[in-house]
Amino acid sequence: MTALPERPISMVVGALGGEGGGVLTAWIVRAAEICGYPIQSTSIPGVAQRTGATTYYIEIYPAKHGELDGRRPVMALYPAPGNMDIVVTSELMEAGRMLERGMVTPDRTTLVSSTHRVYSILEKSAMSDELFRADSLRNAAEKLAKRVVMFDMAKLAEERGTVLNAIVLGVIAGSGELPIPVENFETAIREAGVAVESNLRGFEAGLAFMKGELRAPAEEQERRSHPAKPSAENLLAEVASTFPADVQMIVAEGVKRLTDYQNAGYARLYLDRLAAVVAADRERGGEAEDWTLTRETARYLALMMAYEDIIRVADLKSRRSRMERVRRDVTAGSSEPVHVTEFLKPGFEEFTSVMPPWLGRPIMAWARTNDWARDFHFAMRVRTDTVFGFLRLWALAKMRFYRPKTFRYAEEQQVIEGWLDTVCKAAGRHYRLAVEIAELANLRKGYSDTHRRGVANFERVMREIAKPAARAEREPVWAAHAVASARTAALADPEGEALDKAMAELAEAPALAAE
Amino acid sequence: MERSFAREVEMLRRGDGEYFEGEGILAITKALLQSGVSYVGGYQGAPVSHLMDVLTSDSKGLMSELGVHAEVCANEAAACAMLAASVNYPIRGAVTWKSTVGTNVASDALSNIASVGVKGGALIILGEDYGEGSSIIQERSHAFAMKCSVWLMDPRVDHPRIVELVEKAFELSEVSNSPVMMEFRIRACHVTGRFATKDNRKPRYSMNDPIPMPDNSLDRIALPPATYMQERMKVEKRFPAAIDFIRENRLNEIFEGDCDDVGIICQGGLYNSVIRGLQQLGLADPFGASRIPIYCMNVTYPMVPDEVVAFCAGKHSVAVVEEGFPDYLEQALNATLRKADLNTTVVGKGVFPKAGEYQSEVMIRGLAGFIEGSAPKRIDLAAIAAVIESIDSNKALAADLLGSPVPPRPPGFCTGCPERPVFSALKLAQQDPEIGKMHISADIGCHTFAALPPFNLGNTVTGYGLGLASSAGVKDSMKGHTISIMGDGGFWHNGLSTGITGAVFNKHDNLLIVMANGYSSATGQQQLPSSTAGGARPPDTVIPIESALKGVGVKWIRKQYTYQVGKMRTLIKEALTSPEKGLKVIIAEAECQIAKQRREKPVVAKALRSGKRVVRTRFGVDEDTCTGDHSCIRLSGCPSLSVKPNPDPLRKDPVARVLNSCVGCGLCGEVSDAAVLCPSFFKADIVQNPSVVDTLLHRIRTAVIGLFQGRGEKAPAEESGMPGSVPAGVGVAAE
Repeated sequence: MTALPERPISMVVGALGGEGGGVLTAWIVRAAEICGYPIQSTSIPGVAQRTGATTYYIEIYPAKHGELDGRRPVMALYPAPGNMDIVVTSELMEAGRMLERGMVTPDRTTLVSSTHRVYSILEKSAMSDELFRADSLRNAAEKLAKRVVMFDMAKLAEERGTVLNAIVLGVIAGSGELPIPVENFETAIREAGVAVESNLRGFEAGLAFMKGELRAPAEEQERRSHPAKPSAENLLAEVASTFPADVQMIVAEGVKRLTDYQNAGYARLYLDRLAAVVAADRERGGEAEDWTLTRETARYLALMMAYEDIIRVADLKSRRSRMERVRRDVTAGSSEPVHVTEFLKPGFEEFTSVMPPWLGRPIMAWARTNDWARDFHFAMRVRTDTVFGFLRLWALAKMRFYRPKTFRYAEEQQVIEGWLDTVCKAAGRHYRLAVEIAELANLRKGYSDTHRRGVANFERVMREIAKPAARAEREPVWAAHAVASARTAALADPEGEALDKAMAELAEAPALAAE
Repeated sequence: MERSFAREVEMLRRGDGEYFEGEGILAITKALLQSGVSYVGGYQGAPVSHLMDVLTSDSKGLMSELGVHAEVCANEAAACAMLAASVNYPIRGAVTWKSTVGTNVASDALSNIASVGVKGGALIILGEDYGEGSSIIQERSHAFAMKCSVWLMDPRVDHPRIVELVEKAFELSEVSNSPVMMEFRIRACHVTGRFATKDNRKPRYSMNDPIPMPDNSLDRIALPPATYMQERMKVEKRFPAAIDFIRENRLNEIFEGDCDDVGIICQGGLYNSVIRGLQQLGLADPFGASRIPIYCMNVTYPMVPDEVVAFCAGKHSVAVVEEGFPDYLEQALNATLRKADLNTTVVGKGVFPKAGEYQSEVMIRGLAGFIEGSAPKRIDLAAIAAVIESIDSNKALAADLLGSPVPPRPPGFCTGCPERPVFSALKLAQQDPEIGKMHISADIGCHTFAALPPFNLGNTVTGYGLGLASSAGVKDSMKGHTISIMGDGGFWHNGLSTGITGAVFNKHDNLLIVMANGYSSATGQQQLPSSTAGGARPPDTVIPIESALKGVGVKWIRKQYTYQVGKMRTLIKEALTSPEKGLKVIIAEAECQIAKQRREKPVVAKALRSGKRVVRTRFGVDEDTCTGDHSCIRLSGCPSLSVKPNPDPLRKDPVARVLNSCVGCGLCGEVSDAAVLCPSFFKADIVQNPSVVDTLLHRIRTAVIGLFQGRGEKAPAEESGMPGSVPAGVGVAAE
């Protein structure tokens, strides 16, 4: 009798609920059964049924039942660190989890993972950017695994009109890591009898990738630079000749944004405003700091100047490129009409924002103190694919030329000047403090209540910490830290509880050190 | 029901000379039929749902051929009470539920049946929902066995052995006149494997061959003085009979090994993990031949004293591998060895953790700890240490390379879930200064997920159907409002009697929201008394929740379609501010989206194939108006509402994005409307297989709109270069 294998082949599948990890496992089990190998699989669906992490565990003893003299291998129910031959994850962060748990080892583990992200609710619901940084993950995978197969299988599935688990099966079959002929996997798919055609398509794609006949889909470009309007060209040339190279990209984006938002004159104002910041940055040795102050101020100045009023929203929503993007987003076929409904609900803030200041200011002052007015909103559902619906937004967008005469414009410019002045003054005292105050502008985002809260938080931190610090009434190192922690706290929860707590802790400012 | 069991039913019919291939829980089901059961009952719950599902759906034909009565019971107490059939008559039966929560509910019946004893074999299949992926409190079923003097089996995971032990369990029950509990952990229920089948056995008495006469005996009633006699019977007759049977039939197993100065005593369910741990340490082969002797306890209660004494004799140390707390086996073993005057050292929770599941890594570390501490003859301790060291160093390297811990991934509501909008409404209602923060007495069900991010709604969860009852003590002591949540599953399980009748009787004046999604969804979409199954169930068999509420005297009852967030918010406020006294109930109605999709997807796919006009609805977010504050996500939590890195070079925060998995439930629109969130959301109705009118209208509209958009503003270069539009209907064909 030939020597029997020393141990079963161990394989774990880390999937997300509802992704078809169970189906994938069933295919593999069936393919091994056809070979006559003892096989065992088990799973933990549990509460993780739909959206949480789920695991499937498979053991295959690669010798036929008949060769075992009636003996039965004892198979385990849990994946074990240091004991895995194949680790499959359907998503990038789950691959990280497997690495973390020690399931991937250089002596024997093949790691198969899709590189797309399915964000967890904690990452998604954060008020700012708390996405898991996967930069180090690929390097970790390369160092920890015997063999790594990683690419965006979700994108490939979408392109091929199939599902991810079928591609994974193709990859496993094509990897040669299991002693199972390719046709057994195909038989397993056919026998299961569900969506056979698209599953086989996915299986073939995975297989083709492993044979080198198919390239992985290109990673999506993260940042998209916007095209410039002709009227911005002179200003862009100016940016290229007068701004430090490190910040030109951001400043150019700002110029393009504001030309698009209003006109070249408004972008001119942007550059003029920035000039003072660059000067202050240069004076404080900004080069050694990678021009962080200029970059962050340029970023938030552009965003603050291009504030989202109803004119802007109408403008963006009535563009040709927008309709094309919608069709792409919802995967509409070229011959399929798409009806688009917008959910607009303007209130007093939106109405007064397009009034002249002499009219808007008193109305808004009243509306802020009146419960009814605060909650009053006029719900509109606009069909922007119809001529009439489109024209409503189009007409609103045309109010752009009148924008500089509006109440909201006047208010926003006042805030911008105050903020910019504080940033520049702070730069004279402490570099980091100025950068932190510049970044404070990130609190002013959202619409309606969210916007109202964000603005109130921004104003509170400006009033209580930033402005006094810029006026040299606070110790600057402490103030830089205080602004940063207040900003983090303001973004910790929407109710403002964390900010209240942080501000209470910061209330006791240390005495000014003798300068 | 979540799945079809057609293939499994075919497996259940197999007989002599054939093989069964499939899941553990279905192997157990087959073993019941091979044992000749007359009746089967149970209450659904992971991981034993499939046992009931298969017997009460696709295998009805087989059941009536065999004469087996199978029913889905109202709750676990009802299931356990079914065992009463075996009290008077020599008929076999089995019931099943999730432990320990289900055993808690069943306890009244369990104690009574355990006291009077059984004539026919009575088996309780327990889904031991413990450890990873568990949705319940972490306790042991062992305590129930001890207090009731019923026997607890914990078979090692191997299909042929499990089937054999199920058959033996019925004999054990009959020989000792006591019900037998058999626990299976989650992984054991879901494990796949094969065994040689035997013909199914027709029960001696059943609906096909009825019992001729009722049996009447006072000894079978739990009333004094019979109860005193029954207690004595437990101790004097049933207990010894059980021990003799277990010993004589070798239900527990001894696996010899050459390092016999030490030994391992384990629960049967952990045997496979012990073997794998030993194998990784170089002390066992793939077929389970271990160098260290193992005593595998397929019956964990009662312990067989002479067997353990014989095993321990001549060993200086034994390890007890026993999951969970308290360490009943370790205590019993210590007492037994003390009585036998044996000096063997018992090592248990000293090297193994006191709490938590014994997963592979826990097991290998515990075994290594035992071996290093007891230093068995002829085992190279350095090799053992090296295995542990390599696990440690690999994990340390991984942590170092990754840089930061991988964030957790809590579960949540499914895409399109009809319960989620209710929590959006509750969150909005709480923002109303007239309402403010509420104390929410939550319940068991999918809706329990509301206690997790992003909703964080739910202050207590005390048990299934207990949402309302658990508010009784706190409601009058809170400054703000107290409300209760209950699912339709919990409502019928016991919420109607325990909560609602109690609240009406005691004149409670608070709000109950009943989540009526039409199924016991979390356990696999089993039907409930109020299920209409999308019209599939005959209307005269449906018991509406509203009728039940009226029947017990609730006056204020409102039904509300859950997806209308604004209306739901108004209704909640109305209930909380109403001058009318008494219990107020909102029935939050809308069908479970999973069930709905399962029914509708094939219909839509068929319509599409035949060229019929089909409108597909989904939502989207305009990335250039989204400012990245994610308040929509905090109010929705939909898996299809996600984020992506901001494509705008100026912005840092990720933008919201609707994934292709969107089913167009409408919540996004409702939330942005009710919460006055943000204008970035849009609804897209995609007309598939458009009619001539659709196409014509579309062309005219596009042309006119195009005139206004002008030629100057073409699709910017940035947005070309993306893959062309994906063929429609991908979502339909995919699954």
